[in-house]
Amino acid sequence: MDIGDSPEEAAFRAQARTWLEAHATRRSDASRPLPLDEHVPAALAWQAKLHKHGWAGLSWPEAFGGRGMSSVMSTIFNEEMAQFEQTLGPLTVSLGMVAPTLMAHGSPDQQRHIASMLRGEQLWCQLFSEPGAGSDLAALSTRAVLDGDTWIVNGQKVWTSLGQFAQYGILLARTNPDVPKHKGITYFIVDMADPGIEVRPLVQMTGHAHFNETFLTDVRIPAENVVGDVNDGWSVARTTLTSERSSIAGGGAGWSVETLIELAQHTGRANDPIIRQQLAQAHCRSVALTAMGYRVRTAASRKRMPGREMLTMKLAYANHWVATMETAMTLLGGNAMLAGDDAIAEERWQPAFLNQYAIRLGGGTDEVQKNIMGELGLGLPREPSTDRGIAWKDLPT
Amino acid sequence: MNFDLSEEEQVVAELAQQLFSDLAQTERVKEVEEADGFDRDLWQALADVGLLGLCLPQSAGGSGMQMVALAQLAQAQGRHVAPVPLVASITASMAIAEHLPAEAALLTATADGSEVVTAALAEAGANNPWVPTVRATIDGESVRLVGTKPAVPALPIASHVLVSAVVDGRPALALVDTAAEGVTIEALRTTNHEPQGHLTLDTAIDVRRLVTTDGALDGLLHRVLIATSAVQLGVCEGAVAHAAAHVSTREQFGRPLSAFQAVTQRAADAYIATEALRSTVLNAAWQIDNGDDPTADVLSAAYWASEGTQKVVLAAQHLHGGLGSDVDYPVHRHFLWGMQLGGALGSATAHLARLGHHIATSAS
Repeated sequence: MDIGDSPEEAAFRAQARTWLEAHATRRSDASRPLPLDEHVPAALAWQAKLHKHGWAGLSWPEAFGGRGMSSVMSTIFNEEMAQFEQTLGPLTVSLGMVAPTLMAHGSPDQQRHIASMLRGEQLWCQLFSEPGAGSDLAALSTRAVLDGDTWIVNGQKVWTSLGQFAQYGILLARTNPDVPKHKGITYFIVDMADPGIEVRPLVQMTGHAHFNETFLTDVRIPAENVVGDVNDGWSVARTTLTSERSSIAGGGAGWSVETLIELAQHTGRANDPIIRQQLAQAHCRSVALTAMGYRVRTAASRKRMPGREMLTMKLAYANHWVATMETAMTLLGGNAMLAGDDAIAEERWQPAFLNQYAIRLGGGTDEVQKNIMGELGLGLPREPSTDRGIAWKDLPT
Repeated sequence: MNFDLSEEEQVVAELAQQLFSDLAQTERVKEVEEADGFDRDLWQALADVGLLGLCLPQSAGGSGMQMVALAQLAQAQGRHVAPVPLVASITASMAIAEHLPAEAALLTATADGSEVVTAALAEAGANNPWVPTVRATIDGESVRLVGTKPAVPALPIASHVLVSAVVDGRPALALVDTAAEGVTIEALRTTNHEPQGHLTLDTAIDVRRLVTTDGALDGLLHRVLIATSAVQLGVCEGAVAHAAAHVSTREQFGRPLSAFQAVTQRAADAYIATEALRSTVLNAAWQIDNGDDPTADVLSAAYWASEGTQKVVLAAQHLHGGLGSDVDYPVHRHFLWGMQLGGALGSATAHLARLGHHIATSAS
């Protein structure tokens, strides 16, 4: 066991830091989050720059335009990049979810998108959840019917992150209603410019419209845009969902335990024994997450699938977020709910508090994941299901 | 960066697991509990395969390994709730090897299993082991020790005890022969049947047995906390495994208990707490061996060990229903061990208070 950087890793870290100092802006008290419509193009431009200088796709295979390094190297780069204002947040779906899925299941033509994503030319969104299919995603009812060599799609999707900006989407639709729900779903690539697609922003209580509702009316998708096999979309989607969990658990937040301690000091509460206890608990949770990250990265760098570790980490991350926000809200008191330009501390805490639901629900709710954990981690028998073996069309609605 | 065990560490983990699963079966553990709580046969077997000398220098017949390896051994012990004073004896002997190298004969005797050593670190009252109360007064070649120590692990069976003391306002460690004049040992009954003793000192030792090196007490406390946390990790693993097996097979309302989400979610929470403990214990063990200042990592792991373990063993106990409290059913030992170890050197709250001081002070 060796948690430290190897000499090679330390040299790479130094090189990354030097490059970032020259090309990015170090975070400071003056750093402000960008509004979404500026953040999206800024992230794409930053990705293009990373690509131009050889810092993109560090751990991706060379066959897909990556650098073929170990996943530890890309983590090192991300750790260093987290000290700077430039972020790739809006590209999470593209780089963190779509690209790994296409690498595993895409046709050679579909895999051409990967290089475009690496160059910062494409933004993708995810068209999975529906008004009637949330935790029970496989119950989805958006229909795709084959007409010659074109699929005609009708239905409604929801929680489409950044759908208003995306050029492409990954879409799950029902292609066979006569078989059990998991067996009649197909995974498509859809061009968001198709005239049958209407994207309506959903304003959340944070005041931002990160999510959208997406209406699909006679959308025409060419047959070559099916990812994997027709009716085998669920197994493709599992790759995307696993990647989503790991993106959430490994994602950067606009806050840290250090910033929480600063907030306590700033509000004159750092010596309050109850607050101190909460700061220490936050630190303990953060140490656990860091150490879990070591395990996940070690597994990934040795080509083991860190499934259980990832689930644990996502749940631990959600707990950390919720509990830390509680402390932050306690520290801020009545000021906690000031919004927008009037918010305290660069609008760091109030949106993060309100946004905790994205962390707890994205990629599967805490509770759904604990059920999965019962099976994967503890070897408990599968939860009895009332719909096993029943054709989707015969399920009660 | 590599969080996997090295080949050598893996060998220790496997050897320990094999030995405990062969020699610490439930019937045997029960038999030892009813006697004096010390399995001498198992102790000798651990010595014979070199595990008691795991962390001693090769000159003392040891293997020269460190905390990551010791954590593997301690974890296997916890999984089997095996009644031997492993943590007490190995961590005390590591401190003796580091600071009192002249005690070569004693070290050899601890490695070959003929003698047990321990450390007296807990304090009466608020139990703050970082501020010892036994007073040490140097008088030429001799050191006078006066004071008491509660709940010293393995004291009734130990030949020597390393006592934390205060000399001229600074912490120190004093090596005391338990058979010496002025050393009074009162054996204590404990909930998990491990032998402990109350130590009263009004005695003198040779000045060459006093350690006043800076950081010696902190170093010993760090090792004891993390080795104990590793035992707790094993205790959690055992408790969770028992609970998972029980809720998978016990049927009520015509289906296994695990078919009820309230049951699954409680078990999953116990699993997550165990995994948090696993990651933090390994991290802290490595930081002790290699880091510049392991304090915050050690206290974080100790927090997870105290807080997390008590939650895990409580969940496992609850998931067993009434059956779990029957002394003929094995899971209660995990509960008793978890509760007892969780408070041994300060509770979760005490670790947090210390950690809070450490992080909020060093950040300001």
